[in-house]
Amino acid sequence: MRQVIHEVRNHLAVAIANVEGFRDGIIEPTPARLDAVLHALGEIEVLLARAASAERKEGVPES
Amino acid sequence: MTNRKVLIVDDERSLLDVLGQYLQDEGFEVVRASDGPMAVELFSTSHPDLVVLDLNLPGLPGTEVLKRIRAERDVPVIMLTARTDEIDRVVGLELGADDYIGKPFSPREVVARVKSVLRRSERAEHEPSATERQIGAITIDNVAHEVRVDGKWVTLTPTQFKILDVLASHVGQTLTRDQLLERVSADGDVFDRTLDRHIANLRARIEPDPTKPRYIVTVFGVGYKMVKPA
Repeated sequence: MRQVIHEVRNHLAVAIANVEGFRDGIIEPTPARLDAVLHALGEIEVLLARAASAERKEGVPES
Repeated sequence: MTNRKVLIVDDERSLLDVLGQYLQDEGFEVVRASDGPMAVELFSTSHPDLVVLDLNLPGLPGTEVLKRIRAERDVPVIMLTARTDEIDRVVGLELGADDYIGKPFSPREVVARVKSVLRRSERAEHEPSATERQIGAITIDNVAHEVRVDGKWVTLTPTQFKILDVLASHVGQTLTRDQLLERVSADGDVFDRTLDRHIANLRARIEPDPTKPRYIVTVFGVGYKMVKPA
């Protein structure tokens, strides 16, 4: 679980830093940068799906 | 503060890109490395004034990079980490990073910390081996082990003096309970909960109003911080 949290934070760091950069006008939202954000969000989605399925296997009820 | 050189190290190229742009926008010269060995090499060749270093790096862990950098030259280092469980070790005595920023972060926050750590280290360079430290109305003489508040002598126990001295040498920086205990309690005579009592007694002697501390403030869930009252 600790590893998942760590990885989610890393991907969030990429997404947040880029979007703030767009907002602050520091970087241009080029297709490559938008892809980097989408990729980071996609990775978070995968990590959450994996964590949810692991939890189901352990029989812990989802709240 | 212009033309200072910052080395940023992170294996996530997208972060190097954004952070680099923010720092350049503020007038910093930026050097980027995406793995440990590259960071060590660029540190030697590019002579940065400050390093922003991710803890989790391929090739050579961030902690090892920090050790090698410090062995070569004493520059301020700000660690980036997604692992809050590592923070104590990294910022504590063992590795001695100057500051850390947890991931995810706001790039503006990184810029602000870079500036503040640079200011702090430049100030320290200009005031070498001062025996007296002045924080607001408090004067600490760490040779004579004497403390004055508004010019009046205050009597402190050796432990209270140590706590004050450690906090005062990191003004504006939060020290975790573990860091304080480690630095204050060389012979293991100060324990976790008694630290709070020592702090309370210390406040009673140096704070104008100990119930509303202006010098030694509590950072909830983390530790304590010494601040200079405005």
